[in-house]
Amino acid sequence: MLRPFVLHRPRTAEEACALLARLGEDAAPYAGGTELLLLMKLGLLRPRHLVDVKRVAGFDDIADGVRLSIGAGVTHRTVERSAAVQARCPLMASVARHVGNVRVRNVGTVGGNLAFADPHSDLATLFLALDASVELVSPRGRRELTLAEFVRGPWETARAADELLTSVRLTPWPASTAAAFVKFGVHERPTLGIAVALRLDGSGTGRARVVDARIAIGCVNPCPARAPGAEARLSGVALAELEDVAGEAAALAAASADTADDLYGSADYKREMVAVFVRRALRAAAARARGVAPVAGFPHTIVA
Amino acid sequence: MDASAAREPIHLVVNGRARDLAVEPYALLLDVLRDDLDLKGAKRSCDSQVCGACTVLVDGLAVSACTYLAVEADGRSILTVEGLAEGESLHPVQRAFVDAGAVQCGFCTPGMLLTTRALLDENPAPTREDVLHYLRGSLCRCTGYRKIVEAILAAARARGQASAPARVE
Amino acid sequence: MSRRAPLRVVGQPVPRVDAVEKVTGRARYVTDLVLPGMAHAKILRSPYAHARVRRVDTARAGARPGVIAALSGADLTWCDPYFGPAFRDRPVLAIDVARYEGEPVAAVAAVDELTAAEALDLIDVDYEPLPAVSTLEEALAPGAPLVHTGEPLAGHFADLATLRPQPGTNVCHRFQWARGEAAAALAGADLVLEDTFRFPPVQHYAMEPHAALAAWDETGALTVWAGTQNPYSVRVELAKMFGVPLGRIRIVVPHLGGGFGSKTYAKLEPLTAALARATGRPVRLAASAAEAFQTVRRCSARVSVRVGLRRDGTLVGVTCDADYDVGAYADIGPRVVQKGTYTATGPYRVPHVALDARAVYTNTTPGGAFRGFGVPQLAWALESLLDVAADRLGRDPVDLRRQNLLAHGEEFAPGDTPIDGKLEESLGHAAQAIGWTQTGAADRGRGVAAMLKASVAPSVSEAIVRLHADGSVAVLASAVEMGQGTRTVLAQIAAEVLAVPVARVTAVPPDTAITPYDQTTSSSRSTTMTGRAVQMAAEDVREQLFRVAAEHLGVPARELALADGAVVAAAGRLAYPEVLAIRFGMSGGELIGRGVVAPGRTAAPLGGSTPFWEMAAGAAEVSVDEETGAVRVERYVSVADVGRAVNPLLLEGQDEGGVVQGLGHTLLEEMVYEEGHLLNGTLLAYRVPRADDVPRALECRFVENADGSGPFGAKGAGEGSLIPVSPAVANALARLTGVRLRDLPLTPERVWRALRARGSR
Repeated sequence: MLRPFVLHRPRTAEEACALLARLGEDAAPYAGGTELLLLMKLGLLRPRHLVDVKRVAGFDDIADGVRLSIGAGVTHRTVERSAAVQARCPLMASVARHVGNVRVRNVGTVGGNLAFADPHSDLATLFLALDASVELVSPRGRRELTLAEFVRGPWETARAADELLTSVRLTPWPASTAAAFVKFGVHERPTLGIAVALRLDGSGTGRARVVDARIAIGCVNPCPARAPGAEARLSGVALAELEDVAGEAAALAAASADTADDLYGSADYKREMVAVFVRRALRAAAARARGVAPVAGFPHTIVA
Repeated sequence: MDASAAREPIHLVVNGRARDLAVEPYALLLDVLRDDLDLKGAKRSCDSQVCGACTVLVDGLAVSACTYLAVEADGRSILTVEGLAEGESLHPVQRAFVDAGAVQCGFCTPGMLLTTRALLDENPAPTREDVLHYLRGSLCRCTGYRKIVEAILAAARARGQASAPARVE
Repeated sequence: MSRRAPLRVVGQPVPRVDAVEKVTGRARYVTDLVLPGMAHAKILRSPYAHARVRRVDTARAGARPGVIAALSGADLTWCDPYFGPAFRDRPVLAIDVARYEGEPVAAVAAVDELTAAEALDLIDVDYEPLPAVSTLEEALAPGAPLVHTGEPLAGHFADLATLRPQPGTNVCHRFQWARGEAAAALAGADLVLEDTFRFPPVQHYAMEPHAALAAWDETGALTVWAGTQNPYSVRVELAKMFGVPLGRIRIVVPHLGGGFGSKTYAKLEPLTAALARATGRPVRLAASAAEAFQTVRRCSARVSVRVGLRRDGTLVGVTCDADYDVGAYADIGPRVVQKGTYTATGPYRVPHVALDARAVYTNTTPGGAFRGFGVPQLAWALESLLDVAADRLGRDPVDLRRQNLLAHGEEFAPGDTPIDGKLEESLGHAAQAIGWTQTGAADRGRGVAAMLKASVAPSVSEAIVRLHADGSVAVLASAVEMGQGTRTVLAQIAAEVLAVPVARVTAVPPDTAITPYDQTTSSSRSTTMTGRAVQMAAEDVREQLFRVAAEHLGVPARELALADGAVVAAAGRLAYPEVLAIRFGMSGGELIGRGVVAPGRTAAPLGGSTPFWEMAAGAAEVSVDEETGAVRVERYVSVADVGRAVNPLLLEGQDEGGVVQGLGHTLLEEMVYEEGHLLNGTLLAYRVPRADDVPRALECRFVENADGSGPFGAKGAGEGSLIPVSPAVANALARLTGVRLRDLPLTPERVWRALRARGSR
C-alpha cells in the first residue's frame, strides 16, 4: 500500500526539471519504481509528488556513437538484450542480466539504479570501472559528471533536487579488453561486487600487456571505489604473468577498502573477501581474454 | 487531497478482456487486480519484489504487481493466473505443475506459473541453469524447489513436442 | 476380509485434490475473502523493545473520516484481554508495558486499509523506554530486568499443571527429567565429551502472512475465518476472551499459505475479533510479511550436552542443559522446551539421563512452534557431539550410531510408547545412498545424522464420514490443509475403505460449526491421528452398509465386501445408492460414520504416550569454498521411517521442503537482534533458500514397514526430514575440513573464521 501522491508525467526534461524545482522536497523523480516504491511502502520515504521521467523524450534510447549512451529510463532487461550493448560493451549486458531478479530487470532502470546510489548497486561499480559518466540536466543547463563525482555516499549523489539524470555514457574499451564483474553474498543484495577491466596492448595472447587497469569495489565501501594501488600494480603486466601478480594486486585492493561491520559481515571479513574476489575477477578477466571460459561455480557467487 | 478527484481512467486488457477503470495514481496493480477486478490469484507476500507471489505478466513481461503502479498498465495487456487455462483445459505449464507435485500450499503457485510462462515464451528450451537463473526471484517455502524445476523442464518439453513437426519413426 | 485386500488408493501418488484450484488461482485464502460492510484493520506497533506505555491517545485517529474504531489496550474493558496457550500472558494490545519491538499497542479498523494506515499516524503514544534483555545471557544475568513481573495465568494447554514458572526471574518454565544416575555414569565413562551449541532465532516465512476475518452476527455469535493450524484452539481462546460458549464461536479455515507452526494457537484472531466487536462490522486483518517477523519465530537455544561412552562405543549417559529463548510471551514455548528436551537423547539407548531445560523470556518476538518443535535445537547439539565422539574413539560415525540405536519395540522412557520403527534401516539407506563406504572426491565431505521426535500426547482427533444418496462421500475432519496435502490423504483413506475413487470423496475444509474436533494440525500427527479417525468413520459407514445389505441379501455380513462403489457378495452386488434407497425407503438420507481417536493420559513422562515416534536419518555431501567459507551442500539424502506412505508424491514433496527449510537455518537464516531491535525483518535482509540453493542431488526416501499406529500402518512424517540437516551438514564439513562449528547458521563468514582459526593444512 502506498500513501497518496500526485503523479506528474512530463514529456520533456525541461518540464520535468521545472516540476522538480517547483515541488522541491515534496517530489521525487520516478522511473521503474523498484527502489522508490519499495522505500515508500516501508514508510522510509513519503514524497507527495512523483515525477515520472519515463515519457521524457530520449530517456529510453540507447545511442551507439563514439560513445555508448544509455538513457536513464532504459530498463536492465533492455540493456541485457541490446545488440549495441552486447557488441560494444558485453560486460554491461552480462551485468544487467544479473541485476536483482527478472521482475526487477523488467521495470528497473539504469538511471533509477544510479540515482538511488544504493551502496550495493552493481551498476555503479561497473560504470566506475568503465570510466563512465552521467549527464544531468537542470534549469541551469546540462553537465556531465564522472561516476566518482556523481556518487557521493550511501544513497547520496551530486544530483541537485531540480536536476535529472538523463543518461550514462561511456567510451567502450577495445574488444580485446579483459574484463569481468564478480559478485558474492548470501543476502538479497550482494555483500561485495568487483569490476575489473584491463586494457591490453594486443589481442589476448600471453604476451599482451596491461596498458591500463581499472578495479572498482562495490558494496563494502560507503560508495563504490576504485583501487588505485592495485590498478597501478597491474599496469605493464603481461597477461601470462597476471596470475603471479593478481594476489599482490588483490592485497592492495583490500588494503584500500573502507569496510565496516554490518549485517552483511564484519569489516575484516569483507576486507579479506575484497582480496579473494579481486583475485578471482582478475583470473576470470584474463581467462576470457585468452578465449577460455573463466572458472565459475563458486558458491554464492555470480561471475558476469 | 481529494483522492477521488485524482482518479485516472485506464484501459487494460486483462486475460484477453478489455477493462476500463478509474484508479488513483498511487493504486498498485496488485490491489486493482485483486480488489477492483476480483482476480485473487496474484498474492501479496514479501511486498518487496523478492518473492514473486504477486507476479503477473504485463505485455508478456513478468512484473511484481505489488510494486507496480496500476496507471503504468494503461493501454497494456495483462495476464494473470486466471487467464492461463483455456476454459477447463489447463495450460501445459499448469498441467506440468499438477503432475510433478510442484504445488503444495499454493500461495507461490500463481507467481511460479506466470514466471514459467514468461520464461518459456522467451526461451522455449531452457536448461536447468536457465530455469534457476529465472527463478532467483521466485520463492517457495513448502517444496524443496526440485519438483518446481522439474515441472518447468517438463512443461518446456511438452511444449516442444507439441510444436515440433511430427516425425516418422 | 476387505482389510486383507491389496490397497487400491492408499500408497498411490495420487495428484493432490486441490491442485487444479491452486494452479488456476481459484483457491481461496483468508485475504481473498470479502464480506459486505467489511472493515480493514491496521496495527500500531511498539518501536521499543521494552517500554512502559503511559498513555495511548486514539481520539484523533478515531475522529478521522472513514475510521470506525481505534482501540488501545486500555479500551478492552469489555473482554478478557489476555490470551496464550501455555500462559495467558499476552495482551491483545499492550497493557501498561510493551515487551518487544513490534508488539501491538493500538489498532484501527476503517473503511479501507489506507484510511486505517493513515489513522495510525494520528495515534499518540507516550512511551517510557525501559531496560531490555534481548539475549539469553542478558535475561539470565543476576538482577536482569524482568520481562514479566507478575505470575502469568495458566493457559488452556492440556498439561498446564506441569508448567513451572520461576517468579522473580525471566524463566517462565523449567523442565527437568532424569533416568538412572547420569552423574555417576558419566564419572565412570571411558570418554566424556561436553560442548555448547547454539541455534538461531529463525522466521517461518510462510508465504502467506497471518490473516483473520471476524464477524459477529445478530445473535451474538462470532465467526472467524482464520489462517490457523488449529481452529479448535483458537475457539477456546476466543470463548474465554469474550465469555461466549464454545458452540457460539465458529472458526472457518480456508486454504493456508503455509504454516510450519507459525499459525498454531491464536495469533491475530483475538485482536480481529475484538475489532469486529468494537465496530459492529466484519473486520479483516491482513498482516504484512514484516509483521510476521513480529508475530512469532522459532525459539532460539543454547544447549550444553555431555555424553559419556564406553571405549567400545556404548553410550552410558547423557546430560543436557538447554536454555531456550521464548521471547516476550510464552506462546507455546514452554511446551516446545519440554517436548524438545524430552528427546534430547535422540534415537539412542541411553541408560542414564539428566535433562534440565529452561524457557526464558526476552524482549524479542515471541518464540513458538516451528517444524521440529524444540527438537532441531537439541539434535544439532547431540548429533554434532556424537560425531566428535566417533572421531575420538576412532569409530565410523554410522557404526557408532547403529550400535546405540533403540530397536523396534524397545522402551524409550517408562510408560511411553515403545519404539515403533526401524531406524537402522533409515540410517543404512541414507548412508548407502550417499555412498558412505565408497571413497569420495577429495574436495567433498560426507556426514550423517539421525533424529527421533515424539508427537503431541495426549491428543484427540474426531472425524465424520458421510455417504450420500448418490454414493459420493464427504469427509468431515478439522485437519488443516496448509500445503502438506492432508485433504488428499484423508480423501484417499476414505476412498480406500469405501472402495470409491478419490474423485468421489470431498474433504470438507475445517469449520468448527461443521467439522468435528481435532486438536491441532501440527506435530506430524494428521495422517496418524485424524487419518485414523477418518478410517474408523469410514469403517463405521462400511459396517452400516453391510448391515443393510446383509439383511436385504440374506447373507451374513462377514460374507460381504466393498468394491467399486458397491456392496458385493457371491449372490450379487448392491451399488451404494441402492443400499441407501433400501435403508431409507427413498432416495434421500445418508449414512453417517464416526471415528474418534483419543488415547488419553498415561503414565508417560509428558502425561501422554506418543501415538508414534517420528524417526528419520539424513546424509549430506558438502564442499566448501575455503577462501570465502561458503559451504555448498552438493548432495542430500533423507530417509524417513513413515510406516506407510499414504501418498508418496505428497510425502516426497513435503520432505524435500523440510530438507530445504532445514538448509535455511543451517546455512542462511537468522533473525539478528541488536539491543532488542530486529535488524533484518524483511526479505530484503533475511534470506530464505532459493531454488539455486537446493543440492544438485536431493533425494527423499522412506522406510515402509506398515508398523505405525495410523491408518494402514502409517505414522507421522514431515518434520523428520528437517531435523538431521544441520548436524549432517556440519558433520560433513567437519569430516572435510577438520573444523567443528557450534553455532548456526554456518554462514560463510563463520566458516571462514573457523577455517582461519584452524590454520591452513
